[in-house]
Amino acid sequence: MKEDFCSYFRKWTISFSLLYLLLVILSVHRPLASHKGQPRRGSHTTAHCCALFRACADGGANRLYDITEGHRESFLPEFINGDFDSIRPEVREYYTLKGCELISTPDQDHTDFTKCLQVLQKKIEEKGLQVDVIVTLGGLTGRFDQIMASVNTLYQAIHIVPMPTIIIQEESLIYLLQPGKHKLHVDTGLEGNWCGLVPVGQPCNQVTTTGLKWNLTNSVLGFGTLVSTSNTYDGSGIVTVETDHPLLWTMAIKI
Amino acid sequence: MEREFTPLEPLLPAGNLKYCLVILNQPLDKCYRHLWKKALFRACADGGANRLYDITEGHRESFLPEFINGDFDSIRPEVREYYTLKGCELISTPDQDHTDFTKCLQVLQKKIEEKGLQGKHKLHVDTGLEGNWCGLVPVGQPCNQVTTTGLKWNLTNSVLGFGTLVSTSNTYDGSGIVTVETDHPLLWTMAIKI
Repeated sequence: MKEDFCSYFRKWTISFSLLYLLLVILSVHRPLASHKGQPRRGSHTTAHCCALFRACADGGANRLYDITEGHRESFLPEFINGDFDSIRPEVREYYTLKGCELISTPDQDHTDFTKCLQVLQKKIEEKGLQVDVIVTLGGLTGRFDQIMASVNTLYQAIHIVPMPTIIIQEESLIYLLQPGKHKLHVDTGLEGNWCGLVPVGQPCNQVTTTGLKWNLTNSVLGFGTLVSTSNTYDGSGIVTVETDHPLLWTMAIKI
Repeated sequence: MEREFTPLEPLLPAGNLKYCLVILNQPLDKCYRHLWKKALFRACADGGANRLYDITEGHRESFLPEFINGDFDSIRPEVREYYTLKGCELISTPDQDHTDFTKCLQVLQKKIEEKGLQGKHKLHVDTGLEGNWCGLVPVGQPCNQVTTTGLKWNLTNSVLGFGTLVSTSNTYDGSGIVTVETDHPLLWTMAIKI
């Protein structure tokens, strides 16, 4: 890649933060990152160097530790939270020694990811940080129940953090669209060739889109009825979605 | 054997009664909203759909029946079109020897059997191939009454829904049997020892 990683990543955040597009372009603020689950080749460098703040949810620290072998000191998270049943002892020891904050969040009614967002929000408030988006790495592959838990955290996120939260892993991104109108810029050049709209938690009775190859007009989306998968773009570079219930947007990232 | 029944139980504000709502072609009573909310399943018999359509003006999307049956000589064309567009099943029951209401009950009984709306499941998890996690995921819609046995973290008439509660990272209590009772389709997921 000729352009530097940071500007590539800025383009990503611009494409996903479209409700806040103007804020991202005009401001010098950069996104927050949290690491979880499996490592992503290359992009961790990108995300890390541009992030305002970085956190690991429990075993996410193992992933970070392993993939950054040889230059670990350049990749120290501000905190690691969890019930610490996944983080390896030597990993925990290393980051503690290096001054990372280890925050115990033992509550078994919520996942480490959810609790990470809660801690993150406190930190954002304490430090008075201006944050446009929360970028999460991991959580979309492996155990199916944990993938579902990641999706559930997006549903809960709206009550925890005021800014959008996206999850990225390998070639997929997911982002939960709240009821209302949305405009997504999909012209960063990093878009892959598929996208979809998934009514995970409940049917959506009125969905209207533009910018997709197969658009919807006041359509019903629901499991057992219609789920928009293997969709793609019409080339305009903009997708609009109007929905009456929370609807999961998913798209391909060119790796 | 004596059968126990409380006729007015569906009208009570709270409670776990599992019932289906059938709407016929007569003016709808005010209680329809309350009955609609707590019903497992809702159906209209032909012109009953007109009644529903008219009385729910302004928020029709929140009152979509699972199916409308009949010979369709009463349902208005625009009403039929609306509910078809919204994904409701239109089931033609042309038999002239029975009323739309009777035929509605026949369709309902089929649906109850097909969908296992009795909703009781017994899973044997003692093959030796089970891994150490399992979960119940309400994909597609919330489940308002889920009861389980055999899990480490059981549910009792609980609500499962994205944003509310999703059962993940659950495991077994060692009995080798898991039972699940649910009022809506519910995805069971489990680990396999690879």
